[in-house]
Amino acid sequence: MSLAARYLLQNKTRLALSLLGVALALMLILLLDGLVRGMQRQITVYLANTPGSVVATQVGVRNLAADNSLLPPGTEDDIQKIPGVARAIPVLSQSVFFELHDRKIFAYLIGYDPAKGGGPWRLAQGREPRQGREVVVDQTLARLHGIKVGQTVEVGGYRFPVVGLSAGTNSWMTTLVFVRKVELERYLLIPGLTSFVLVEPQPGVSPQILKERINQLSGVTAWLKPELMAADLRIYEGFFQPLRLMRGIAFLVGVLVVGLVIYTATVERQREYGVLKAIGAGNARMYGLVLSQALVMAFLGALLAVLLAYLVAWLIMVLRPQFLVVLEPSAILLALLSGLGMALLSAIAPVWVVARLAPAEVFRR
Amino acid sequence: MKAQKTAAILRVEDLTKRYGSGTAEVAAVKGVSLEVAPGEVVLIMGPSGSGKTTLLSMLGALLRPSEGSIQLNGTVLTALSERDLPRFRLREFGFIFQDFNLLSALSALENVVLVAEMAGVPRKEARLRATEILKELRLDKRLQALPEQLSGGEKQRVAIARALINNPSLILADEPTANLDSSTGHEVSRLLRHIAKEQGKSVLIVSHDTRIQDIADRVLWLEDGEFKEARTLAIDPVCGMSVERTKSPTATWQGQEYFFCSKGCRSEFLLEPHTFIQGEA
Ligand SMILES: Nc1ncnc2c1ncn2[C@@H]1O[C@H](COP(=O)(O)OP(=O)(O)O)[C@@H](O)[C@H]1O
Ligand SMILES: [Mg+2]
Repeated sequence: MSLAARYLLQNKTRLALSLLGVALALMLILLLDGLVRGMQRQITVYLANTPGSVVATQVGVRNLAADNSLLPPGTEDDIQKIPGVARAIPVLSQSVFFELHDRKIFAYLIGYDPAKGGGPWRLAQGREPRQGREVVVDQTLARLHGIKVGQTVEVGGYRFPVVGLSAGTNSWMTTLVFVRKVELERYLLIPGLTSFVLVEPQPGVSPQILKERINQLSGVTAWLKPELMAADLRIYEGFFQPLRLMRGIAFLVGVLVVGLVIYTATVERQREYGVLKAIGAGNARMYGLVLSQALVMAFLGALLAVLLAYLVAWLIMVLRPQFLVVLEPSAILLALLSGLGMALLSAIAPVWVVARLAPAEVFRR
Repeated sequence: MKAQKTAAILRVEDLTKRYGSGTAEVAAVKGVSLEVAPGEVVLIMGPSGSGKTTLLSMLGALLRPSEGSIQLNGTVLTALSERDLPRFRLREFGFIFQDFNLLSALSALENVVLVAEMAGVPRKEARLRATEILKELRLDKRLQALPEQLSGGEKQRVAIARALINNPSLILADEPTANLDSSTGHEVSRLLRHIAKEQGKSVLIVSHDTRIQDIADRVLWLEDGEFKEARTLAIDPVCGMSVERTKSPTATWQGQEYFFCSKGCRSEFLLEPHTFIQGEA
């Protein structure tokens, strides 16, 4: 076993406590990152899961999440006539409050034409709306509030019978509810109203070219889907920033934990390090000795952090299903890289101590 | 045994070390010259603060002299760059310290193996070599023991094994017996002489311990940073320190003159002289 490993194992309590400290800091980084990813995924959930790679909105609209888009009448047909368009899917959307028995729920009503698409992409139960005011609601929402297929939900005095439950349709702080477009038009009292159109190009036609062609229409702005999703995400920057700041703080805490442990251990062992230098260890070996202790600690801490993060993320999502914490395999990479950064930064002070050690001091008592 | 080379292995010329600068400047070693032959055991004695440790540190390439030159095996040490010094120390010197300075996290065997590995010896071979040396030093049953589980004498023998593992040409020891009881100290000093004579290594010892005089081929007296001409030293019968005849308090008892390191030792002696000289006669 290497000297660095021996030094780490020499004080097992200290090693265990500092590993826990590093792991908790790294876990916090992973969870905060997972929470931001989860928020981002929820914010863009509709656009990410529906067909089409180009979206047409009302001109001047800056995003879909906060601005209201209303297209001029007939836009859908105009788009359908543009060469290269395979499919134009009109969608009417409206934020509403559902009155449930216990409270009001903020929901994003999606009015779509089941024959054209743009509806729920995964049904957990029941079927899509076929007639009247039939709706499909998110299964998590249904579970939280005890809504069952066959029951009705109420919006402003209108009753909507639930005919299906969709999966993966929770959005950030809201939930998607699917209804037939004609029914939503009727509810809003404006027949033929469309918010935006999802456009699918024909095979071999680039979305960029299609976007330019649609932009020729008056009163219409065309977006590549990723552009519109990014625009939606920008509105929530204000939420992400504090989370990123906290992630940075967690990183610093990790650096301080590793740094303090390695620093005190180095100062305690100054004499032995001096002996090593005296009997012939060069500076590179000395730095390696200190750095590898930091690296081993950060690496083990990272592995522990990944386990803890998956466990805590699972707990959060079981206890609070409306939150989405996204931990992808890249989380392991994030943990390892953050750990590496922690190790390198935390080794600065101890390396400085070791570099300053005068080997002749070993003869002094 | 190797044919005795006439050339000195260590050649020191006009070595000076000054600490500090300006009015605060202290010359700890002043123009010292010295030659040590292969297999020779040299003991350097002198009062506290006379520059012994400073001299030893310079000879071991741990401290740069202010002036003068040191040659070991033909290499001019003082001309080596800072980068090359550690490697040179690793291969050419064996260091032995008063407080052993073993690495507390490593077993006896690992303490020795580490130094061989540092010099580039593959682990397996390093373990074989270290085991062999430790066996010769009668530590075969203590290979896996941690330093804290070893007695003082055992620790110093492990340190000697560590000093020998890379087959250095010069062993430098600073007060190697000071932390050992007298019989263990005697054993360790005899061991050092044995190594010098059997393996042809030069051994340079700095010590207060007068018992080491028995095993030294040559005793040098350092005072105020300079070697004083060889003079007969006397041993303080109370504390066992070696003292200079010309400068120390004296007392005569039963027709014999005794020399002391201090007035304290002298008055202690005069209270009950026979208790101090029984062993001597
Ligand atoms: N690092 C240092 N800085 C300044 N003065 C020193 C230093 N090391 C030793 N000295 C001085 O040099 C002189 C010789 O010290 P030292 O070599 O330790 O003698 P010894 O080992 O014989 O006791 C003493 O006066 C001591 O105070
Ligand atoms: Mg000294």
